[in-house]
Amino acid sequence: MAIEPIFRDAIVFASLLSLLSVGLTLTYLVTKVPNFAHGTIASIGIYVTLTSTELLQSDPYEFLPAAFLLGGCANLILYFVAIRPLNRRGAGLVSLMVATIAYDLVLVASLNMYADYLTKTFKIASRDFILRKHDLVLLGQPGVFLTAPVIAVVLVVVLYVFLTKTRFGVAMRAAIEDMALAGVLGINVRRVYVVSWFLAGGLGGLAGAMLGLWFQSDPGYGQRVLISIFAASVVGGLANIYGGMIGGLLVGLAEILGTNWLGGILGTWVFPYRAIIPLLAMVIALLLAPKGITGVKWSQAIRKVVGR
Amino acid sequence: MVETNLVLLFVVDLVAVFAAYLTVTSSLNMEFGYTGIPDFGKVLSFAAGAFAAGFLPGRLLEQLFGLDRGIQAYANNKILADCVTEFSFRKPEVLQGLKYVEDNVAVTTCLTRVLQNDPLLSLSVVVLTVAFAGGIGAVLGFVASYPAIRLREDYLAMTLLAMAEVVNVVGYNYPEIAGGTLGVAVPDPYAWVGGGRRFLVATIALAIMAVMAYVYMRRVSSSPFGRVMKAVRDGEVAAEALGKDVVKIRQKVLVVSSAVAATGGALWAFYAGGVIATAYDRVTWTFWPWVMVIMGGAANNLGVVLGTGIFVASRKLIDFYKFSLEPVLPFSVVWVDRLALGIVLIIMLIARPQGILAEKPSMTLKKEKILSIISRAKEKARPPNNQ
Repeated sequence: MAIEPIFRDAIVFASLLSLLSVGLTLTYLVTKVPNFAHGTIASIGIYVTLTSTELLQSDPYEFLPAAFLLGGCANLILYFVAIRPLNRRGAGLVSLMVATIAYDLVLVASLNMYADYLTKTFKIASRDFILRKHDLVLLGQPGVFLTAPVIAVVLVVVLYVFLTKTRFGVAMRAAIEDMALAGVLGINVRRVYVVSWFLAGGLGGLAGAMLGLWFQSDPGYGQRVLISIFAASVVGGLANIYGGMIGGLLVGLAEILGTNWLGGILGTWVFPYRAIIPLLAMVIALLLAPKGITGVKWSQAIRKVVGR
Repeated sequence: MVETNLVLLFVVDLVAVFAAYLTVTSSLNMEFGYTGIPDFGKVLSFAAGAFAAGFLPGRLLEQLFGLDRGIQAYANNKILADCVTEFSFRKPEVLQGLKYVEDNVAVTTCLTRVLQNDPLLSLSVVVLTVAFAGGIGAVLGFVASYPAIRLREDYLAMTLLAMAEVVNVVGYNYPEIAGGTLGVAVPDPYAWVGGGRRFLVATIALAIMAVMAYVYMRRVSSSPFGRVMKAVRDGEVAAEALGKDVVKIRQKVLVVSSAVAATGGALWAFYAGGVIATAYDRVTWTFWPWVMVIMGGAANNLGVVLGTGIFVASRKLIDFYKFSLEPVLPFSVVWVDRLALGIVLIIMLIARPQGILAEKPSMTLKKEKILSIISRAKEKARPPNNQ
């Protein structure tokens, strides 16, 4: 079956972006701080894939749990080292954001060290690499083209079941709604924080591992994707994780297909300006629907447009 | 003799870097320190100023002298005619007209030779460019923050970061602004002082701007508006309840401070003699200034100067020594540097969030003045028949 390569790009990117923005939204919900290091958590996943394929010569899919674990741990370190101590001291929102940026710098530097190390010691190309050749072939398609959307959907369903059907999930939602009240009712609020940060990081690492199987990557990839993640989360409204999912799909598709479409009309010089599309999406969302797509009262909006 | 020259050059460079950063940190202090605006796109205004210097003066002078129209337009200007003829040996087409970005070396070399003999024109070029950069900075400060200015700080932070990133992408990929990947050279408006002294003059220009930025920041911070800024930071709702338009105040602060940083950027471009988009990245011109402000002490003017000074000086030292580590490590030492910086900032935020010099209450009037006001008030209140 022949599929336009650009649609593959779009599907892979959009589904993984929604995983990333679900993660960002999750930590935002519990801590009320946007994690500026979230993009680089994805870069960690990318380097897990690089290590598993180029260095260990094994199947990248076997290492997806490792990427999940590493991403989750990286996010947990941020939580324990910076977010929690700062929160305890009653630090303001800006200090928290600066701490996540500082942590982003630490992560990017560490990944670059690792990349240098891989190149110097094992002669592995560790920047601007493409790992598509290590991917599986499923039904005549590159593996990640099918696994990325499937994993994204499965994970969101799992998350839904976890949040609505399990005891801890319900407790978590309660804690998100009202930390103090949930604490009074005997919910271990601190555990909710820890689990959320770990889950968010895990999803980020997982998404990164699969991004690395498809797109050309380097340690700074996550930093560039961060704008798309923010845009997706803002479009989704930063109010619930399904919003993050929808925002990720919309912004991801718009970014890839929109750039391609504009490139077709205006010429290939458009392609480097890809980052403008998520920015525009973010600006439009902030101006028209600052509560995001899930915060819009659609019936009212339609009535307004169509006229009474 | 050679050594004193080297020392002088070292000091001049240090002062120039310090002054350039001081324009940025002063403006960041106004935004973040006093008003609580998380400007994670600080690089935006500084880079915009530098791009303005890469864009405007060269083109303007090119038009003024008719460099783009071929040699007939400036045949009676001997310096230009000779200079362009010199370049035409390598590329004959330049006689038909020069293109600013494509023939950048020829354009800037020839224009610099003209400016060398015309201090007045040079001076007006600097003033005009700085004003233009300030205007661009002000507009960008308004536009970049507009979508999120009414929302919580985190939305503003995300938007400003994204805006800065996009401006960098545009500057990098659109060569008409500042030469794109290759950058552009800027005609040297300090060439008339001759030789190596241009760096000294360029540094003085930067230092004047930095001092002005600092004095301005001091005056504003102790003025009634400074208190309003602090009110916006500490109690948005309270400020609003007392009739202050929080959104407008934030906008005002962003516009002014972006303009200040942009003028610094333009002067920095003149100092460096050129502009290249890759030099204006998130780490060097957003993150470092944040470290300086937090380290020195947010909302403490002297603290910010101190933080900037310590940071710039230690950067010099690190840059001087770090490459001796290079052969020992299995990775580039640049990353050790950044790693350490990130860790230092996190420790700083936790251990001493107020910085080296903590914020002080706003300056009030001198004690004698207050006493005299009180006694005058008492005088008035005293009934006249009371002997």
